[in-house]
Amino acid sequence: MSRQHWLTPWLFLLPSLVAVIGFSLFPFVNTVILAFTNARTIGGGRFTGLDNFGRLLHDPAFWTAAGNSALYVVVVAPALVVLPLLLALLVRRKLPGITFFRTAFFTPVIASVVVVGLIWSWLLDTRGLVNGVLQALGVLRTPIPFLTDQWLLILSAMLVTVWRGLGYYMVIYLAALGSVPRELHEAAQVDGAGRFRRLLSVTLPALRPTMVLVAVLSAVSAFRVFSEVYLLGGPAGGPGGADTTLVMLIEQVGTGLRGDLGYSSALSVVLFLLTLGLLVATSRLDRNEAAS
Amino acid sequence: MNSLSRRGFLVGLACATALAATGCGLSGGDPGAAGGPVTGEVKGSITFQTWALKPKYTDYLNGLVTRFQQAHPGTTVNWVDQPADGYLKKVTADAAAGALPDVVNMPPDLSYPLAKQKLLVDIGSAMPDAAKDYLDNAWSAYALPGQSGSYGFPWYLNTGPVFYNKALFTQAGLDAEHPPTTYAELESAALAMAQHSDRKIAMLGLTPVIADFALYGVNVMDPGGTRFTFNEDKGVRFVELYKKLYDAGALIPEALTANYTGAGTKFMNQQIAWAPGSAYDLSNFKTNAPSLYPNVGITKPITNTGHATMFVQGLSVPESSKNKPTALAFARFVTNAENQLAFAKLVNIFPSTKGTMDDPYFSKSDGTDEAKVRVAAAKQLGTAVNYTPVQWSDQMLTVLQQQLAEAMLGKKSAKQALDEVVAQCDKLLAG
Amino acid sequence: MSGCHESAVPGTQRQERHFHGAQVGRYLLLLLVLAITVGPFLWQLSTSLKGLSEDIYSVPPSFVPHELTPGNYARVGEAVPVWSFALNSLLVAVANVVTNCVGASLAGYALARLRFRGRGLATAVFLGSLLVPFEAIMVALFLVMRSLQLNNTLVAVVLPGAISALNVLLMRNAFLALPGAVEEAALIDGANAWQRFTRIALPSARGTVVVVAVFSFMYSWDDFLWPLIVLSDPSRYTLTIGLSYLQGTFVNDQRLIAAGTMIAVAPLVLLFTVAQKHFFRGVGEGAVKG
Repeated sequence: MSRQHWLTPWLFLLPSLVAVIGFSLFPFVNTVILAFTNARTIGGGRFTGLDNFGRLLHDPAFWTAAGNSALYVVVVAPALVVLPLLLALLVRRKLPGITFFRTAFFTPVIASVVVVGLIWSWLLDTRGLVNGVLQALGVLRTPIPFLTDQWLLILSAMLVTVWRGLGYYMVIYLAALGSVPRELHEAAQVDGAGRFRRLLSVTLPALRPTMVLVAVLSAVSAFRVFSEVYLLGGPAGGPGGADTTLVMLIEQVGTGLRGDLGYSSALSVVLFLLTLGLLVATSRLDRNEAAS
Repeated sequence: MNSLSRRGFLVGLACATALAATGCGLSGGDPGAAGGPVTGEVKGSITFQTWALKPKYTDYLNGLVTRFQQAHPGTTVNWVDQPADGYLKKVTADAAAGALPDVVNMPPDLSYPLAKQKLLVDIGSAMPDAAKDYLDNAWSAYALPGQSGSYGFPWYLNTGPVFYNKALFTQAGLDAEHPPTTYAELESAALAMAQHSDRKIAMLGLTPVIADFALYGVNVMDPGGTRFTFNEDKGVRFVELYKKLYDAGALIPEALTANYTGAGTKFMNQQIAWAPGSAYDLSNFKTNAPSLYPNVGITKPITNTGHATMFVQGLSVPESSKNKPTALAFARFVTNAENQLAFAKLVNIFPSTKGTMDDPYFSKSDGTDEAKVRVAAAKQLGTAVNYTPVQWSDQMLTVLQQQLAEAMLGKKSAKQALDEVVAQCDKLLAG
Repeated sequence: MSGCHESAVPGTQRQERHFHGAQVGRYLLLLLVLAITVGPFLWQLSTSLKGLSEDIYSVPPSFVPHELTPGNYARVGEAVPVWSFALNSLLVAVANVVTNCVGASLAGYALARLRFRGRGLATAVFLGSLLVPFEAIMVALFLVMRSLQLNNTLVAVVLPGAISALNVLLMRNAFLALPGAVEEAALIDGANAWQRFTRIALPSARGTVVVVAVFSFMYSWDDFLWPLIVLSDPSRYTLTIGLSYLQGTFVNDQRLIAAGTMIAVAPLVLLFTVAQKHFFRGVGEGAVKG
């Protein structure tokens, strides 16, 4: 399919390239420049070369944050590739009342973030519902410190992220399920394939690109997680800041009139490069699997 | 995309290139005009920005605007109220772009970095006769430590009582009519409560903030305001006190990760029994926790210094204002004694002008809870100190909270944790 | 026209026997997920309906208002000019839906179905922009809008999200899934790229276009920080900002705030309910009818 004029594809792309370059990549150039300075939010600064990057390498807070963000991706992204798909398969059939269920499953996506944080704190608090039930049943003597232990806290935040992502990625899968060609299903049925066989041999292969897309999107957003950890672990990022993520660190460093704009820009640039690496790795993984 | 916006985009691209070439945010703010009285006609239009006062106080503020415009024909005041969320980011973006409104409501910690960069009008020299109208401790809240000048008209003050939950006190076998008045009494009451409830009910909901150290009698900074000193022995003892309470279950575990709002919620759902607050919190309790309200006890804040802590809000005028004479005149008008008194009566906060507190409203109680709190707080304000240094920043607060959590968890000793906070905060202060 | 082509798959008689067991199992699963997902929403709804004598922060939280009252909604209307804020939001959201559906479909089609030099680079540009953290560029973007003299206009609110890279990638994915055969036939018939796009590809990917529409509406409807920064005249604020006025400096009524969030969320629920059956609009119908 290469018989079109060379300009045609670029005309198709023009509006979105203009929008994306003009309002996202181009302003980011400014961030990149600031990363090599000691600028403050207010009051300017001067070029300091690679100082910010050197400082970053020796900043334990950076390594903690990078580790937490990476851990987040490893746990959350696979869960968000699989669970929403199962959910989409569950709700795709037309059953009485299915509209209600689909909409209800989407509500975590649109519910107010603050309310979500409040409810989950209630569930997981030392005196919260989960601990209360477990203690009443006699399973526990002392409550589980979901929100005050470094590891349990980040696990709880991951749980909330997955919970919020369910409905969102479910929608993407639903649309993709719509484009699985009907002929393929019919052919498989003629061959006598059962429902489960057809899921494995027809639906899943057809959904593969979508699964890759969901993997990329969920990995990128998991790496940039902020709200869930902030809401459950407070602005300081969990006990002693042990659960700070990269975006939280950028906020902590750069927010406010006394923000260290230079250093927070350097952190943003590193965040950008790390996500880029993550993206390349995800697509490599996909290509290798596809090849084998 | 039509041709107009495409052309607009190209213009923008050119500007952004210019920005990128210099790095926007790299150039310092416009250096302020040389000091000295600001003279000129009070005329023309200005924008006045407040923080989350709409819709409750709309009538009051519109009244101010109308009366000012009547007193100064030819002026227009465009009142803009910003919502509570995101105010800091809004002010930051406007300040970075040199686009702050002519009169801006800001607390001292927001004005400090702007004043330091000479982005705010020095009211001391622009209006030399203004200082005498305001209480000294309020006026000095907008000064730069170690330098002359003052960068905001104090608008209102606040100080508060401590609220405690009488029912929880009684349950724990404590005397609900005689709440603790010293740190030692608070400690033993808290320990008793935790023990009695098998660690289910905690007295306290927050690790200490910087003002709490000062209330305990710790010297937070050296007299010149150049470095932090709260890792002194007294500071260490204060943290050790909290550690003891934490271990006993008298400080709620979630305190390690909570913020002020979180602690307020915990008081309202009766998980903690002791919460410092403000006079207007009574209405919050009444509204959001009606069954708690009858059990709320009110007492004086505990202090080792004899002074309570207070909070100041004020109005500043940016150097970038195109109409400084009108902006200054309006800011002074809003913060004059008469207008502050009216506002204080409306909101349950306190005026910062000299003599205004002599109004019987602040000294005579009509027996209601609100009036009792008001009279007590007004008395307390006479000697209150703004214990949060203006140099204290969000970044420093984060460091303090993080290190205190480490100390509570026993990962560090109180001394080690405080040394670390002081070292990091000194670095932030110098940076 | 059935929304879900699965139900139209012939030869399901074989499964009729399992109908009851499978159906019951399916509903049990649906109810389980329902229980996990709706909690916060339900609490918000119940808080917004609670009377003045009820505690908000009880432990455990109460999900049933004892003194059911719609009064909080009326009070939101009195406190905040909901309609004028909603109109601003609607303008911005509709503009965003249009720009995203058009722009992302065009770009997605080019990336998926047209062969040209520089395609890899173009894809990389979109991926790259997906990775730019918005907070990092916000102030610079604000300055760009000021230099375009667009600050304090709704246009400036629309522009940064006008065509999001995410939607371009979603559309690209949808076009990639289309079988090539039909389009090749059209190519042989001499259809140019534009004709193939509008007559064949786009109708086949309608489901994803609806998803893009829902997502762009949702994003711009919920966006808080950017409109707050770029607008300076509160009369132009969008609903999300407008409703945050319910949170005052001094006293807050959580019932009112909850009622406000319900008002903000209602159009999204409505939109989703209407749109969800179109998510499945895909190859089957498109290719036949197109």
